[in-house]
Amino acid sequence: MSAITLENIHKSYGRTGPDAIGNLSMEIGASEFLCLLGPSGCGKTTTLRMIAGLEHPTDGRILVDGKPIVSVSEGIFTLPEKRNMGLVFQNYALWPHMTIRDNVAFGLTLRKMPAAERDAIIDQVMTKLGIARYAQRYPAQLSGGQQQRVALARMLALNPSVILLDEPLSNLDAKLRLEMRAELKRIHAEAGSTIVFVTHDQWEAMTLATTIAVMSEGELQQIGTPDDIYERPANRFVAEFVGSLPINVIERGEDEPGPLRAWLGRLLVHFGVDAATVASAGIRPEATRLGVLSEEEVAKRAAGQGTIVDIVPTGGSWIVELDIEESRFFAIATENPRMKAGERTHFWVEREQLHLFDREKKRIAP
Amino acid sequence: MTLQIPLPDGPLRPRPVWKRLSYLVRVNSADPTLLLALLLLVVFGYLILAPVLLLLVDAVTVHFADLARTRQGLGDLTLYYLTRVLISPISRDLFWWPLAHTAIISAAAIVLAFLVGAPIGWLLSRTDLTGKRWFSTALLLPYMLPSWTFALAWLTLFKNRTTGGQPGWMETFGLTPPDWLAYGALPIALILALHYAPFVVLLFGNALKQFDTQLEDSARSLGAGPVIVARRIILPLMMPSLVSAATLIFAKCLGDFGVAYVLGVPVGFDVLATSLFRAISTSQAGASAVLAGMIVLLGTLSIVIDMRLLKEAKRFVTIGSKGAMVRQTPLGKWQMPALAWAFTVFLVSAGIPLIALTLTTVMRVPGSFSLDNFTLDYWIGTDLGTTALHQGILLTGEFWLALWNTVWMVGIAALGAGTLGLLVGYAVVRSPVGMVSVALRQITFLPYLVPGIAFAAAYLSMFAVARPPLPALYGTPVILVLAILADQMPFASRAGISSMMQLGREPEEAGQIVGAGWFRRMRSIVLPIQRGALVSAILLPFISGIKGLSLVVVLAVPGTDLLTTYAIRLVDYGYSQAANAVVVMLCVVAFTGTMLVQKIGKANLSDGMGSK
Repeated sequence: MSAITLENIHKSYGRTGPDAIGNLSMEIGASEFLCLLGPSGCGKTTTLRMIAGLEHPTDGRILVDGKPIVSVSEGIFTLPEKRNMGLVFQNYALWPHMTIRDNVAFGLTLRKMPAAERDAIIDQVMTKLGIARYAQRYPAQLSGGQQQRVALARMLALNPSVILLDEPLSNLDAKLRLEMRAELKRIHAEAGSTIVFVTHDQWEAMTLATTIAVMSEGELQQIGTPDDIYERPANRFVAEFVGSLPINVIERGEDEPGPLRAWLGRLLVHFGVDAATVASAGIRPEATRLGVLSEEEVAKRAAGQGTIVDIVPTGGSWIVELDIEESRFFAIATENPRMKAGERTHFWVEREQLHLFDREKKRIAP
Repeated sequence: MTLQIPLPDGPLRPRPVWKRLSYLVRVNSADPTLLLALLLLVVFGYLILAPVLLLLVDAVTVHFADLARTRQGLGDLTLYYLTRVLISPISRDLFWWPLAHTAIISAAAIVLAFLVGAPIGWLLSRTDLTGKRWFSTALLLPYMLPSWTFALAWLTLFKNRTTGGQPGWMETFGLTPPDWLAYGALPIALILALHYAPFVVLLFGNALKQFDTQLEDSARSLGAGPVIVARRIILPLMMPSLVSAATLIFAKCLGDFGVAYVLGVPVGFDVLATSLFRAISTSQAGASAVLAGMIVLLGTLSIVIDMRLLKEAKRFVTIGSKGAMVRQTPLGKWQMPALAWAFTVFLVSAGIPLIALTLTTVMRVPGSFSLDNFTLDYWIGTDLGTTALHQGILLTGEFWLALWNTVWMVGIAALGAGTLGLLVGYAVVRSPVGMVSVALRQITFLPYLVPGIAFAAAYLSMFAVARPPLPALYGTPVILVLAILADQMPFASRAGISSMMQLGREPEEAGQIVGAGWFRRMRSIVLPIQRGALVSAILLPFISGIKGLSLVVVLAVPGTDLLTTYAIRLVDYGYSQAANAVVVMLCVVAFTGTMLVQKIGKANLSDGMGSK
């Protein structure tokens, strides 16, 4: 239930190596469920490990509830074993030579407390996570999902002030992912713990987190609620990284073919946007409307026209691939479009669904 | 909290250097890995690097005994020893003839080992030979026992009147073997060949085992006959493993002291190892340093060649490993001849020598099979009427002392080597400073390049006088324990490094997260997980230490005799039955030990093959 503050964190490997993390600052509120989201190599796991203390920043400060646990300039570094944070590793890192019970008990045996009290805690945690009947087994005898529960139990037994999870759902099959997702949400709701987890999977991020921090190449791109991130991406990177089907991007540069660019020009005029600052625009496939319109309606909505290349039913929705004079454009229809490949169709978009970016690829408000 | 707060970049602010330093100290304070690595570096710098360097220095500086001859001051740089060993009139006896002998013997041993080992390797890996499992242990037997055991067995059978003591069996049967059969190059080469044939069996056999039969099949399907397939496909792919086996055998022959000592020295047939031994035992420190240096040089060369070739071999392996298929060739009507061949090799290389050795210990006159000739006197007799050794060896104090010495000295050395090996593995894999890692890895591998007898010479250079913090160690058990330990480090550290590589950081980091400090993590997590590796890292050096002779023969004195040196001392006195009895006991210990290792750990003999 602690708040964590990262201040100007830098991390580089080797003396001359480039920064793996360059000037990262972030505030994680108490009881927040925060996700560090980004492609592999973006520095999210390094950030998590720095919070845990398994890596040390080359510069900057990390504060917990306002007190520094790491401060390079002040020569402060609290050792990981003294931070009282819980970390669940991606591959769980259970100790293969200990029984499940011993795995859960190990941390408690390092702390001075009466044996009866300790046993009570262990029993309670193991029962809560449904692994009590495996107590005497060894990790190798359990399935992946069970192993993860053990790893969670091992961490929860110590009642950590901050819970850190490295790719918590990535090694599980679809059914277990749903179960574990519910489990994590429950843990968060019951204990009110501050939880920070790392993932490259936007589904994981969207479904679990209350706050998402999107990272790329060691820099924070955007931090906000899942809806914020999705509906108001701060820049092109966030817009393109988040979304199960990639966002359609229209460049206003010279290399973008005519008709699509021309349509964007008409659209900007239609919405009354100052076109001079706009370098590119993004339209999510599911925000794209399709249909054959009358002349009047085309003018009213500033609609474009394209040819249907393919329609892929995905159960409940349909992915429609459009060809607009050699450019590909994707749309998702939530109702059966009842059209065929080769047919011509109009497409249009509402103002709030149009994401505009400037030359630095930053979002143009709103 | 939904907004990113941009803060001014930090590093622009000036800050005192000592703050930064104190931060780094704080970061590393709970993780003594670097400290451990540096400590190990100091220890092995002292135990391995320093002796070898001193040896090289000894070869080019004036020693006290040679002040008059060199007309130089004590410790001055001199070429006296180099010229003496390499150019002077006595260089022929001191170096060149022994070198020629060593070359001839190694070459012959390599050829013979291939003739014997290669067919066996094929039979064991690629055919349906009956009793393959039994053979694959039985045919490795010669390697589990000390090589000079078989030299003693040879003497037992073929000894003639040229040297004194008990006659050999042939002599007793009425056939006097000629000198060329009884001593010298032929028997030495033969015994070394049989002893090291398991190298070929294992290396060649393993390479064949991994060889994808599909490669053969595809050549066949393109119309190549079996001869062409063998010559153009199999041979080139087998080449690295073959040459590797050859260089290994060469390196081993170079350092092998016992066989030449038993079969060569009585008739003045010297190899490099025995020449070095004589130089040491006649206190020619400078000359022995030069000789040892030459052996190290040759050993290094062969290992460098071997490593080059192993690298090549790795490149080959990556080509054809996916979906590899190994087909067994049915022997059919060749089953019986193959079986006969394998069994003959077993008899000649292990069966007959061991039986002969054992029988000799219960015969008054070797080879005479009349009933009254049999006796248990040499084991448990009293009042034997000999000059020394009045009782059977089981009643002799020195034997039990030697056995006890072997067990505790080699035991402690192996325990130390295994534990240090694991720590070296940890330090090498986890050290935050790459240079330290590399240095530690190289130094602990160094003894591998130095044949046992040269390493012993290095130890004499180093510890014959007081080297603070240690007093002069010659004549004490400490020097033996240290030398055996250091000599076993190449294997022990390799084992440690590879098992630590497999461990990964996470189990330890998980311990750190739940609050365990470094020592607690070592005790409760790292060491228990590595228990299996630790057991084999201790037991394998123990086995190989027990049978080692060339290292300890220089360093042991009567009070610190091990079974091996005690047996050699008995050979020197001419008590062949007693010597054989000791050797039989040694074989029993070494064999049970090896079997135990294979049972307990998953450790395989072939893993230990690289060790000495």
